Amino acid sequence: MFELLQEMWSFAFMRRAFVVTTVLSASVAPVGAFLVLRRLSLAGEAMAHAITPGIVIGFVSAGLSVMSLLIGGLIAGVGVAILTAFLARRTILRSDASLASLYLIALAVGIFILSAAGSAVPLKSFLFGSILGIDDPSMLLVGGVATVTLVSFAFLLRPLIVSTCDPVFFETQTRRPWLVDQGFMLLLVLNLLAAFKTLGTLMAVGLMILPATAARYWASTITAQLILGFIFAVSSCWIGLTLSYLFPETPSGPAIVLVAGGFFLVSAVVGPLGFGRQLRKPSVSKDAPVATIQQEEKAQ
Amino acid sequence: MSSVLELRNLALGYRDLTLFRGLSMDIESGSTLAVLGANGSGKSTFVKMLLGLIDPLAGNLNWTQGKPREIGYLAQMTEFDRRFPIRVRDLAAMGAWRGFGLRRGLDAAAQKRVSAALDEAGVLDIADRPLHQLSGGQLQRALFARVIMQDAPLILLDEPFAAVDQSTEAHLLSIIRRWRAEGRAVVLVVHDLSSVLDHCSHALLLGGQEAAYGTVKDVLTPARLVAQGYMSESQASWMFRSPTPMQEAAHV
Repeated sequence: MFELLQEMWSFAFMRRAFVVTTVLSASVAPVGAFLVLRRLSLAGEAMAHAITPGIVIGFVSAGLSVMSLLIGGLIAGVGVAILTAFLARRTILRSDASLASLYLIALAVGIFILSAAGSAVPLKSFLFGSILGIDDPSMLLVGGVATVTLVSFAFLLRPLIVSTCDPVFFETQTRRPWLVDQGFMLLLVLNLLAAFKTLGTLMAVGLMILPATAARYWASTITAQLILGFIFAVSSCWIGLTLSYLFPETPSGPAIVLVAGGFFLVSAVVGPLGFGRQLRKPSVSKDAPVATIQQEEKAQ
Repeated sequence: MSSVLELRNLALGYRDLTLFRGLSMDIESGSTLAVLGANGSGKSTFVKMLLGLIDPLAGNLNWTQGKPREIGYLAQMTEFDRRFPIRVRDLAAMGAWRGFGLRRGLDAAAQKRVSAALDEAGVLDIADRPLHQLSGGQLQRALFARVIMQDAPLILLDEPFAAVDQSTEAHLLSIIRRWRAEGRAVVLVVHDLSSVLDHCSHALLLGGQEAAYGTVKDVLTPARLVAQGYMSESQASWMFRSPTPMQEAAHV
C-alpha cells in the first residue's frame, strides 16, 4: 500500500493533479460557501451550463487553449449574469426563473455548436475534465483565478456578509449594492472556468457546493464555515485522487466529487446542525430545534 | 427644537400609483413620529424614501444639517436570513462596519461600544450565540443593539414590535425614550393604534391618497381615521367609546 502511494507520488502528472486541486480548493471554497449562504446553490449549477456556449465557441474558433476558454467563458457567463439581473429587475420573473430560462438557451446553443463542429471535440474531457492531463497554461489559469479570488474576498468579505445576512439593511448602507452581487457572480464564473479544466462542466460545481453544505452542518460562524469548507474540499481532492490511482478504472473527477458527497452525508448525520442534534442529550444542546425556526419563519 | 429634515410639498408613489400628495412637515430632533396607515398606504415606502432608496414623485427633502452619514434603520424581518452563521455580537457590530471600512478590525473602544449596546438591549449574556438559536424577541433586541451601534441622528423603525412579547416591547420602548432624550429623531412605523402611541409626540396618518401630519391628539381622531380608510365607523366608535375597553377591564 505504502509502496503504491510512493509510486503514485513519483509520477509528475499525479503531483501536478495534487497541486492544482489544492489551489483550486482554496479558490472555490469561499465561493461555494457564499453560494450556499446566498441560496444560490442551484444557480451555481445553472451558471456552469450557461458558460458552455462561450467555451465551445472559443474552442471551435481558437482551439482548446486556456485563453479561448477564459475569454469565451467569461463573455458567456457575465452576459448571462447581467441579463438575469436585468430580467429580474425589470420584468415579473424572479432571478431563479430568469437564470433558468437563459441557461437553458445557452446550453442548447453550446450543444448545437458542439454537435455541428463534429467529432473534433473531445466530448468526454469536456464533460468530465482531464485532471490527470493538466498542462502549464491550465495550472497558471487555476493559480491566477485563485489569486484573484482570494484577494477579492479580502475586500468583499464584509459587504458579502452584510448583504447575505440582511439585504435590506445592506441597501441602506451603500450606494451601489449591485456591485457586490455582480462582483460575486464574476468570481463564480472565473472559478467555474478554473474548475472546468480539471473537473469538467458536469462536476465543476460539485467541489464548490458539497464541501460548503457539509461545513454548514458544523459551523456556527462564518470563519468556521470558510475554513471547514476548504478542509473538506482539499480532503476530497486528495482522497479522490488517491482512490482513482489505486483503482485505475475509476475516473478521478467523479471520484473527488463522490468523496465530497461522502463528507456531506456523514456531516448531515453526525453534524450538530444536522441530525446530530437529535443524537445528543437535549440538556447538552442549546440549539433551538430546526422545526422552531421553520415555524417562526413561516409566521413572518 | 431644531429639525433634522424638512419635507416640502412631497408626493410619493410609483409610476402608475400615487400614494399621497402635498405633504409638508418637519422631522425634529428629540421627537418621536408614529407613521400609521392601512395596508398598502405607503408606510414602508415613506421610510424607504427617507432612507434615499426611493425618490419622491415631487417635492423636496431638505436635510437642514446636511444628510447624516448614518441613518439608523430597522427593517421588517421578512428578508432577514436567520440561518446565517453569525454571532449576536457580530450582528450588532455590523452597525458600525462603515466606520471600519472593508479591512480594519474593530478596536478595543469599538468592542466596548458593542458590549455596551448589547447590554442596553438586554442580550449581552447571549452575545456569543449564533442567530439560529435566538427567539424572535431576542433577535429583535440584537437588531436594536445594531441600531444603537449606528449612532445616528435619525432612526427609522419599521414595525419593530410586530413579533415581540410585552416585556420586550417595554424594554425596547425605554431605549427609544433614551434616543429621544439624547435629541435623536425617531420615526416609528406602527400597524395598529397600540400603547406605543403614548410614546410618540407626532403622528403621520397615511391612506385614501392623503397624508395627515400633526400631534398624535390632532391627527388620530375617529373622523379622520375613518375618512382615510384606517378603520370602519363601527370600529372607531367601539375604539373611542368611553370608558375605553382597557379602562373597563381595569375596573372589573
